[in-house]
Amino acid sequence: MTATETDPSAGRQAIGRILPPVVTGQEVVLLVVVAVLWVLLGLFTPSFLTLGSIGPLLVAVAPVALMGIGMTFVIITAGIDVSIAGMIMVCAVITAKLLVTVNLPLLPAVLVAMAVGALLGTVNGVLVAYGRVHPIIITFGTWNLFLYIGYRVFDSSTVNGIPGTLSVFGRGAAGSTFGVPHSFAIAVVAVAAAWWFLRYTRPGRNLYAIGGDQEAARLAGIAVRPRLVWVYALTGVMVGLSACITIATGTSTLDQSVGQGKELEVIAAVVIGGTSIMGGRGSVVGTLLGALLVQSVRSGVTQLGWPSQLAFLFVGLFIIIAVGTDLLRERARRAP
Amino acid sequence: MSARHRSLAAQIRRWTEGGGLRDRNVLLLALILVLLIGMTILDSVGVTTGSFNSDYLASSLINYVPLALLALAELFVITTGRGSIDLSVGSMVSVVGMIFGILYVNAGWSLASAVVVALLASMLLGGVNGVLTAYFGYPALITTLATYYAYQSIALVITGASPISGARIAGLYSAADSIELPVIGQYFPLVPLGMFTFVLPVAVVAWLLLNRTTYGRSLYAIGTNTTAAQWAGIQTRRTQLLAFVASGLVSGLVAIYTVAQFASARPDAGTSGAGMALPAITIAVLGGVAITGGIGRLSGVLLAALLIVWLNASILIVVPGNAGTQLQFLALAVVLLGASLVDALPTRLRRRGSGADGPTLPVPTTTNPQ
Repeated sequence: MTATETDPSAGRQAIGRILPPVVTGQEVVLLVVVAVLWVLLGLFTPSFLTLGSIGPLLVAVAPVALMGIGMTFVIITAGIDVSIAGMIMVCAVITAKLLVTVNLPLLPAVLVAMAVGALLGTVNGVLVAYGRVHPIIITFGTWNLFLYIGYRVFDSSTVNGIPGTLSVFGRGAAGSTFGVPHSFAIAVVAVAAAWWFLRYTRPGRNLYAIGGDQEAARLAGIAVRPRLVWVYALTGVMVGLSACITIATGTSTLDQSVGQGKELEVIAAVVIGGTSIMGGRGSVVGTLLGALLVQSVRSGVTQLGWPSQLAFLFVGLFIIIAVGTDLLRERARRAP
Repeated sequence: MSARHRSLAAQIRRWTEGGGLRDRNVLLLALILVLLIGMTILDSVGVTTGSFNSDYLASSLINYVPLALLALAELFVITTGRGSIDLSVGSMVSVVGMIFGILYVNAGWSLASAVVVALLASMLLGGVNGVLTAYFGYPALITTLATYYAYQSIALVITGASPISGARIAGLYSAADSIELPVIGQYFPLVPLGMFTFVLPVAVVAWLLLNRTTYGRSLYAIGTNTTAAQWAGIQTRRTQLLAFVASGLVSGLVAIYTVAQFASARPDAGTSGAGMALPAITIAVLGGVAITGGIGRLSGVLLAALLIVWLNASILIVVPGNAGTQLQFLALAVVLLGASLVDALPTRLRRRGSGADGPTLPVPTTTNPQ
């Protein structure tokens, strides 16, 4: 459609809008903000910029970033998934129970968690794609459904005596190589793969088309419904993987509050990362940086000796500032 | 009993064939009737652990007050359209409860002035949501996600995360107590006072606002088509701002009710567990409020809250303890998904159906008051 443009500069501009620059303004800004924050925290606290502090921070970023990949995909298609908290609970409790009862080895445990997540995500995807009901309503419903399943599997008690099988994802010595936490490395690799997928592959580009205008995408020959199903299924898989990290970073006891409030935390990371909640625009690199920013603030507030709940005030402010700069840029771009 | 049941089934069939199930109120009323009849049968068979009667139903209404009020708040916000939603109601309940507690207990203010200032604060909190959304152009989901975090944080930090209690607040407990109705009271079960002091006034004012004022008409107009409303001379931004202020005010009322109900101001009152916002949105949607805006009736929201509160109470009396509490999640999921999917069925036949209600039918639903 850009080939018909006669003015070459206009054509380049249009192509630029289809394939955005490798790094967007929002990502550069976020990177600078995180860097400045780290320097300031390094200056004002004795221990922020040490391996013992950065390591656990990166481990805590990993699950939010991994789930954020799925959520970014979902939000790019103009959807949303608020059932994440329920999914984490189901994945975590099933995996934890299997670890305790049959002493499942590492790889099968991860696969089970991801398979359970995929199944739950597929339920979301099928209902969203074929139900013709807004995704927020569908996932409100399935959130309650998953909570029910989770509580049933918990059987009104905690799961105790979880073995250290998953400690390769944890905060301990087994969880990192040369100081790099494995779970964070996995998150970075996954973000890189998702970035490449969204940018350079046809199915990836299709997600933006679906988010831009679902009907136009359908008329352009994109199989909208199957795409939607696997986008939600992918979110489930990522939740499954994150559940393993959650088990690994927890104690040997898993209680029923696991996952609570995670859906909003993940959405916060995604929107701070510059993904438009209206769909059609977004980046997974931004999501990773958003997760990093949120976790840095939380860690920083604790190390400064401030009340830990104050971190949420900053998270709220960051959401407003991040989306605000994005709105201003959008307005400037639309202005003649 | 079975004859009544059959005629009900026949009527449901007739409504369905006539497209009656598209009227959410009819569906909700039918579900409430089915629930009551089913539970009466279960009660007479002796399956229930307690007696399922009007007293039990009336006492369960204590949970109705916060749920119905917050769902009404969501009705105002969601109806303004363009994806408007208020995720921050739970956090506002927490903050306003703490403000009220500090003024009333720590500062020793009189009840009236503490309530007034707390409610003014709640309108200010809602106003922040409204200004950011209506005037700065933030998507409502983003605004209220941000203020959900910010308000929650303020509520927790303001007293170092410790609740405020004491003799003065404990004295408020009677506001959440059950009372006998005057004059006709002896024929009726004891109803929680909050139904009359909180739900009834709010519902009447909200109904008048939505159905009998220009403001209410403007609200539906901007939710149906913002551009058209603007060209019709409606101040779209102010209308949306006021919807968020209303949501804040109602959250403030819930905050004061919650403080009275628990006899203490808790900093996590509206955000502990799954929080108050998501259930409130769920109730609003179940009550037929279209998430795309412009469609939604007060009666639907009140009925949906009644269905869920009585359904939860019924589950607890059949399956007591933890298993019952868990089953409530399943019941909510089934009712919400079932109602939305059934509602979407006719729109699936059209070429471009979107949202819970068909886009071609907003006019009759919104212009018929009740």
